[in-house]
Amino acid sequence: MTAMRNLLLALAALGLSSARAEAQEIKVGGLFDLTGITSDVGKPYAQGAQDAVAWVNEHGGVNGKKIKLIAVDYGYKIPEAVSAYKRMVGDEKVIMINGWGTGDTLALKEFVNKDQIPYFSASFAGDLTDPSKTPYNFFCAPSYSDELRAWLSWVKEDWKGKGNAKVAFFYGDNPYGKAPMEAGRRFAKENGIDVVDEEIVPGNFQDATSQLLNMKQKGAEYAYINVTTTGVSLILKGAKALGLTTKFGSNPYGFSEQLPLVAKEAAEGVTGVVPHVPWGENVPGMKAMMDFHKAHHPNDTHDAMYVRGWTYVMVWSEALRRADKAGNLTGPGVKAAAETLRDFDTGGLTSHLTYTPTDHRPTTKTKVYMVKGGKLVFVKEYEMPRRADWLGL
Amino acid sequence: MRCGDFRQTYAADMAIFETSFARRLLLLFFAVLLVVPAFASSFWLDVLNRILIAVVAATGLNILTGFTGQISLGNAAFLAVGAYTTAVLAGRLGLPFPVVIPVAGVVTALVGMVFGVPSLRLKGLYLAVATLAAHFVIEFTITHWESMTGGVNGISVPAAQLGPLVLEGDRRLYYLALPLTAGLLLFAKNLFRTKVGKAFVAIRDQDISAEVMGVHVFRYKLLSFGVSSFYVGVAGALLGYQARIISPENFPITLAIDYLGMIIIGGMGSILGSIFGAVFITLLPELLRLAVGPLSSSFPQLTTLFASLKMGVFGLAIVLFLVFEPDGMAARWHTIKNYWKLYPFSY
Repeated sequence: MTAMRNLLLALAALGLSSARAEAQEIKVGGLFDLTGITSDVGKPYAQGAQDAVAWVNEHGGVNGKKIKLIAVDYGYKIPEAVSAYKRMVGDEKVIMINGWGTGDTLALKEFVNKDQIPYFSASFAGDLTDPSKTPYNFFCAPSYSDELRAWLSWVKEDWKGKGNAKVAFFYGDNPYGKAPMEAGRRFAKENGIDVVDEEIVPGNFQDATSQLLNMKQKGAEYAYINVTTTGVSLILKGAKALGLTTKFGSNPYGFSEQLPLVAKEAAEGVTGVVPHVPWGENVPGMKAMMDFHKAHHPNDTHDAMYVRGWTYVMVWSEALRRADKAGNLTGPGVKAAAETLRDFDTGGLTSHLTYTPTDHRPTTKTKVYMVKGGKLVFVKEYEMPRRADWLGL
Repeated sequence: MRCGDFRQTYAADMAIFETSFARRLLLLFFAVLLVVPAFASSFWLDVLNRILIAVVAATGLNILTGFTGQISLGNAAFLAVGAYTTAVLAGRLGLPFPVVIPVAGVVTALVGMVFGVPSLRLKGLYLAVATLAAHFVIEFTITHWESMTGGVNGISVPAAQLGPLVLEGDRRLYYLALPLTAGLLLFAKNLFRTKVGKAFVAIRDQDISAEVMGVHVFRYKLLSFGVSSFYVGVAGALLGYQARIISPENFPITLAIDYLGMIIIGGMGSILGSIFGAVFITLLPELLRLAVGPLSSSFPQLTTLFASLKMGVFGLAIVLFLVFEPDGMAARWHTIKNYWKLYPFSY
């Protein structure tokens, strides 16, 4: 009955002009991937973000103002993202956007700069951290580059053999896949790690045997996989079928509770960087999520990607709150407010975050986890120095 | 009331508009189009510009496939050539749009003619495969020629400019795209009243007879590839100026299929058909999105279904048109028009 009434209401709304906005409402755009090649991790992220917005609205909103999230599925396609962006900014008049992929975020960086729209992307590409080039781009995690550096640091500690450790990189032929590679190559060179092989996998691949055989031939003992969970599990299963002994590591979008579920025993011993804690981790910030979960969808299962979406909203809603308090609830106002965040604590959902007008690297601490017995187990946290030549790389 | 043909001169027989009423109506329609941006939201302006771009590209494809009978699956790639030429000329050399757009058209025409060479020997399905190869060759080049094209990261295109005039945003670009589209449509309409156009049609209807009649088949096939690609290249230039950032993702093979769908649904061998088809195929996903959007708050799974829904409706539309109106929307339009022209004495 409720569904029927909602349907009628929706149809009625379709007939009416949708441009009517309430004064006590803050419009925020949401670009999500629910159908594209990263939808395996995009869906839980989107749900986390949408749930968090609902939670914020239930708990006082932004100083009493409600957030209205205008969510769009862009299918991980840059042209769709540009089109959706034009709609959000031109018609809906959003004051900031919660974005998703690396390709579209980089594509939109000139637009958001010109339109002064703070853009919190789920992409942690190092290119987005230098405010002299991308003043309106933010993200809430260590950069992909720092994550790869941290994983390489783990490799260096783990390697007990003679000579340099031999590492391979697996990545997709897209901006997300390629984002941290240059940083990784340079870091490896500085730290006596040999990058012996780089394998490019297509966006939507079903089999990586030829790439794995190639890697085996090059003699890589470690390999970092920079694709999403589905792709990582395909590579891991392929490697297991071939009987490879390579130790695999994964980027934050290929490593969550889902990985051991999908890749089964092939995931054992795989390491991964985890910028946002797994679902159910014993940290103070998890309580609100658990309560919301129990109240709204107790039977669903969630993962670190859901936590990531939730964490993002916690961070930017605080920026909105501060901008509102300063009486400047505009794009530049929210940007300035976000840049006042110093060691901002999300209740342990991620490391303490700091943004300054000259440095948008929120944190340089990366946690490395390992799959042991089908569970994600914390291994070690690595902190990278805030080197000036690493800003924007 | 007209109930027969009263043409007394050859000029009247050749006229594009049978009556001055039709001409005035078209001018009125054009005038309405000119004032539309004053009322349209950014969303609809974006859609309008994309429709204009699709009209130009579909007309180009119709010249080749609908009028000359040479099937091509390479038009998404040719569109990319036009767009990337624009990105390089406008972005790196800072050239103004009156130079960039024709050059983008000419460069694409040359590329199109190169890939049209196999049409000397190949027909039908074989030509389709040869032009499909063109798509992949061009896509590969764009993805891997990173110094020029930016590879998978894409390349940004500055707003169309001419001295102090900068066509920033969809509203201003519309006033470039609309007259350009109108001019190109007028040219295409007139093309088929010339020797060249008649030669194209002769080749389509029966290439051997055309050759017997003295039509240099290969030359005209190549010319058709050239003219068609010029149109597609101009559409690509406009697309570059509109999207402002282009990457290989803007030009998937499905786009080439979309364009074929446009001329099939609109009407092969009809300029009016290109317009109808382009409008229909561009509007279809937007209308579906508008319908799905408000419903998705109550039925969240609709959002995920949307992508497949769009493809399904597209496929269904093509099948239905092929079965019930093989000559496309243009033919249906003529039927309706003729019915009302003689109403109520339609005997």
